[in-house]
Amino acid sequence: MRRATNAVVMTVWALVVAVAYVVILAPIVVLIFSSFDGGEVFRFPPRSYSLRWYEAAIRSQEYRSSLGVSALLATVAALVSVVVGTLAAYALARGRFRGSEVVATILLAPLALPLIVWAIALLQIYAWLGISGSFPGLFIAHATITIPFSVRIMTANFSQLDPNLVAAAVSLGARPSVAFRRVTLPLVASGLVLSAAISFLVSFNDVIVSSFIAGARWITFPVRLYSELRSEGVDPITVAIGAAIVAVILILGLAGERLFKWSRQL
Amino acid sequence: MSRTSTILLLAPAMLLIGVAFLLPFLLLVLAGFWSQPPGSWIVDPTFTLKNYARIATDAYYVTAFARTIWLSLFTVAICLLLGFPVARWIASRRPLHSFLAITMLLPLVAGALLQTLGLVNLLSLLGVVNGALKSLGLIDSSIRFLGTELGILIGLVQAFLPLMVLPLATVLAKLPKELEQAAMSLGAPRLAVWRRVILPLSVPGILAGSVLVFCAALTSFVTPQVLGQGKIPTFATIAYQQAALVLDWPFASALAVSLLVILGVALVIFAGIRRFALRRHGVAT
Repeated sequence: MRRATNAVVMTVWALVVAVAYVVILAPIVVLIFSSFDGGEVFRFPPRSYSLRWYEAAIRSQEYRSSLGVSALLATVAALVSVVVGTLAAYALARGRFRGSEVVATILLAPLALPLIVWAIALLQIYAWLGISGSFPGLFIAHATITIPFSVRIMTANFSQLDPNLVAAAVSLGARPSVAFRRVTLPLVASGLVLSAAISFLVSFNDVIVSSFIAGARWITFPVRLYSELRSEGVDPITVAIGAAIVAVILILGLAGERLFKWSRQL
Repeated sequence: MSRTSTILLLAPAMLLIGVAFLLPFLLLVLAGFWSQPPGSWIVDPTFTLKNYARIATDAYYVTAFARTIWLSLFTVAICLLLGFPVARWIASRRPLHSFLAITMLLPLVAGALLQTLGLVNLLSLLGVVNGALKSLGLIDSSIRFLGTELGILIGLVQAFLPLMVLPLATVLAKLPKELEQAAMSLGAPRLAVWRRVILPLSVPGILAGSVLVFCAALTSFVTPQVLGQGKIPTFATIAYQQAALVLDWPFASALAVSLLVILGVALVIFAGIRRFALRRHGVAT
């Protein structure tokens, strides 16, 4: 009797786990699956399979430009995020000073406060300053939302670092700058890569902030996709590019996990 | 490390976050008390409570706020029901647990918008779900998911389930296995072990996950906008409307501040529940 109830409980348990993963994964699976649809409008089950939308995506000039904007913006934002975030994290992890907790709270605030509320304010401020839809405007916004990720990851990295290693290098005659370059940096290299990857991803995927401050000239890929989704007509080319982006994120994520064990640092 | 170098290291980040991030919040609070005459784009910065009075009395905004709150509460409840077994599976180091844990991160990294696109294909009238149900003979005509609250709810659960599972799994993984075994070996029935040992000890994880999911759902923008197809006003969609389309900046600010207040109240309530639950079960924090 008891064994029978146990079996029932275990089955229900496994079923709920299965449902949860179907919910999580279904949209991604369907996205990739429907990008190979041969028809003009997505229909289930698809009537034919083809690579025609991928071919069209490679040829399309407009898509290349919006992907280019996204990639450029994300690269610049990630670079600034890693440099600025690492400097701040170094100060937070090494120098004990009065008010350091307040500083940490301020620097991590964009992770806690809702971005939609911020975007409403930014929309108006950018209109006043006349920088909405400009590259500098997008860059400032993207740097601001990505820096906290670098600060957080790098603070954890620096505080795990054994200060004796640097002290040893200095006592053996290395100048502090040399000790930083030859001892500290290599030890936090995986954190730097992770910060850059997360910052790039956050910037590349951002739609909330970008769509509020978007203009006509600098349109990122998510903003373009978003306007298509709102006007109820998604171009199959967009689906193909979206599927390709998800595939790239997955492959790079798994590679990072194998190389650097990223999931343990988050 | 000297004081000057600390300041120099922190300056760029503090400048960017302080000026570009925190200053706008301050402006929002101020602007919420300003007004803008209809048809004009010029803001009148004399103090008024007009915007807040409009939010509190106009049925359209009250309903939208109420809808956003109950949608978020339902999202929390469903995420908890689905997420608890997953979190326990991940924490108990059964087969596949590390694979399941990494898979859980997927919705967080794959991009909200791309997944919403997948959901649209999944839930549309000619989509996968309706197609599958029809070919199984369960329904005759398609169910309308898009443009309904049900569609939004599915989207919110899909997007935010990981926010429940990850903190919960962390807490569950720290529970000593011996506690359960001790209770069992002393003759406690399975149900009692759950009620008196496992659930009370997982309260911190449940609350941490609930707070994250609730806040994320309450402020979510893409999901209600796209899956609601503009037919279901929620907080984020009306705020966007006012800020970007109607261009009533003071009113949009008041809406945004109201949301912050609701978030703050929710956090206080969650903290209260946490204190109550911990005292009742005598679990040390």
